[in-house]
Amino acid sequence: MRILVPIKQVPETGDVKMDPETGTVVRAGVETVVNPLDLYAVEAALRLKAERGGTVVALSMGPAQAAKALREAVAMGCDEAVLVSDRRFGGSDTWATSYTIAQAARKLGYFDLVIAGERATDGDTAQVGPGIASWLGLPLATYVSRIESVEGGEMILERLVEDGYQRLAITLPALLTVVKEIASPRLPTLRGKKRSKDIDIAVLDADSIDLDPSYLGLKGSPTKVVRIASPKVSRGGATVIAKDDEGVAAAADGLVAFLEKKGLL
Amino acid sequence: MASKPAAFAAVTPAIVEELRGIAGASNVIVDAERLEAYSHDETSAEEYGRMPEAVVLATDTEIVAAIVRLANRERVPVTPRGAGSGLSGGAIPLYGGIVLSLEKMNRLLELDVGNMVAVVEAGMVTNDLAELVQGKGLFFAGYPMSLQTCMIGGNIAENAGGGKAVKYGVTGRYVQGLTLVTPKGDVVRLGGKLSKDVSGYDLKRLVIGSEGTLGVVTEAIIGLVGYPTAKSDLLVLWKTPREAIDAVPAIMAKGLAPTSLEFMDRLSIRASCGYLNESLPYDEAGAMLLVEVDGSDPAKVEADLIAIGELCEERGALEVYVAEDRNNIERIWNVRRNIAEAFKVQSPVQSLEDIVVPMASIPEIIPVLERLSAAYGMTIPCYGHAGDGNLHATLVKDPGMDMATWRRNEDLCLRELYAAVRDLGGKISGEHGIGIKRKAHLARLVDPVELELMRSIKLAWDPNGIMNPGKIFDPDGAPVPDGAPGMAP
Repeated sequence: MRILVPIKQVPETGDVKMDPETGTVVRAGVETVVNPLDLYAVEAALRLKAERGGTVVALSMGPAQAAKALREAVAMGCDEAVLVSDRRFGGSDTWATSYTIAQAARKLGYFDLVIAGERATDGDTAQVGPGIASWLGLPLATYVSRIESVEGGEMILERLVEDGYQRLAITLPALLTVVKEIASPRLPTLRGKKRSKDIDIAVLDADSIDLDPSYLGLKGSPTKVVRIASPKVSRGGATVIAKDDEGVAAAADGLVAFLEKKGLL
Repeated sequence: MASKPAAFAAVTPAIVEELRGIAGASNVIVDAERLEAYSHDETSAEEYGRMPEAVVLATDTEIVAAIVRLANRERVPVTPRGAGSGLSGGAIPLYGGIVLSLEKMNRLLELDVGNMVAVVEAGMVTNDLAELVQGKGLFFAGYPMSLQTCMIGGNIAENAGGGKAVKYGVTGRYVQGLTLVTPKGDVVRLGGKLSKDVSGYDLKRLVIGSEGTLGVVTEAIIGLVGYPTAKSDLLVLWKTPREAIDAVPAIMAKGLAPTSLEFMDRLSIRASCGYLNESLPYDEAGAMLLVEVDGSDPAKVEADLIAIGELCEERGALEVYVAEDRNNIERIWNVRRNIAEAFKVQSPVQSLEDIVVPMASIPEIIPVLERLSAAYGMTIPCYGHAGDGNLHATLVKDPGMDMATWRRNEDLCLRELYAAVRDLGGKISGEHGIGIKRKAHLARLVDPVELELMRSIKLAWDPNGIMNPGKIFDPDGAPVPDGAPGMAP
């Protein structure tokens, strides 16, 4: 199988800062890591490769520094790494990003499967994976928690849905976004790390991909951030006190009444 | 022999009133429910716990001094206490009396960047200090494993070590000065913002690690170093503990100076990984080493990390994993940090040991532990700071064993273990201290001349024997409380 895993480099801390002017994430001076949720996609791809053979290609769209994320994917066991990087891509929203990645994927040839993380921990949209599927015309399964089987160009999957799991068949090629239940990511090995230091990362810029220039970057992004505001958090609580054993029943009733009033029971 | 201290007095209502006058009524605790929290530390409360008669929450050095003067006058024992995260019973009021808690004295008094020191009150949580100075690009390197709860005063009292001691040494190395309330209630400032000081006896060093028996440390001048901006870890899996342990001196001898070099045996790995639901492929691993390298030059850190990893591969490691970002580093340290907790879930009755041997002798200890485990029918996982020869072998009671058999076997097992440690030139505690837990064993193993010197120092500093009595050694002639734990048989 030839599997593509798009990954994103994100700020390491949970303390993501936004630029109020452009409405995009401030990346300067922040330590970066592979989006932790993408590691589950890498792991799922590596397990399929281990079972069935093939190659896993990690791809990241971002500045030159995103090569660090790709090297980490290679250290985990990915075979090839592709960096999609051009100043003209800067400021892309999820629509422009998924378009650009989809066109880069076309350039790289046939893939049996694209596996993406559920969402990135900085943008939190969960739109890029499905967006790529849409641009490539691939069947899509989101929130995949288990790959049951792969046979005759068809996969049987389990999806995590609100009230349980959904089991479905999907024909290949396809795109999956995966959740944590799929597999716990492996740690990079020293062998992998040494290989990742030496590997040549292919770089695709805007000129080497077949792209409509009006779809690129901030200008090509239909999402316009008008204003960013932090919501005010006001948590009005209630204190229920039971001073002794006799008070417990009344206190419990009080608590139940409070929760019912808030529509939580 | 040193002369005998007088018998201790009880905390009378009149004394309580006086304590309230000194510290403020809200800072004096006498109701049993609230006292309970001050009756134990991280050792088993059931085995070692003792209720204080009163707890005073001190808010400055003068209040501490006034309380100690009162206690000394009335012959009431005083037990200084920080976070109560100790592992040898150091903060337990063995003879009742007053627990003097420094938890409210938690201020940063001064951050002197020019001299690279922080002046702090003793109740400051170690991690809070670390975070405060990190903002200035500085680092507090004496860093115990319990850093999120423990306090600087307790670190000093126990001369705490921890996971970074291989490179950075233990707490004492960073204590440049301290303010001490002596057992007579005098206030003395030892040391200063100095990295050199040979003006007379090094009393500061004597206080560090004295387990609160020579006075109450209320403030400290803590030396800082530049914050190491680059950090990476290796998790190395080995087939046998012997191979893992043999690699330790080999790594050190290469001059690669890891920050941490932690050892975990198979039992520790399985317990902790099981507890954490960690999916690392540890089935084949008989032992693991966790190696950390830090510094200010990322390229050098990476080169050292690879050199250590390659050395492990050459020595037959099953697998060498690399953790370079915070998530992965936290992931592998979690395995190490949760071992004790994982065993508490399996069996709450255990004896967490803290033996230390010359580094090159570590491989000799593993077969001893295996033999003792078989002989006394107990599980003895072993993990710890292999890079400085400090191992936390832990005697864990089989849930099927009755308590009487356990107590007998624990004592016999420890006697044999400690004898083996002594024969290797080691000591029974590397960083947790003697406290109540190990004093019977210390009394048996220590050179009598050394013990007498320690006793005479104690007597000179604390003629009435009121300051944390019953720690390290039994006070001569003091009334032994009924069924007191840790008493020499």
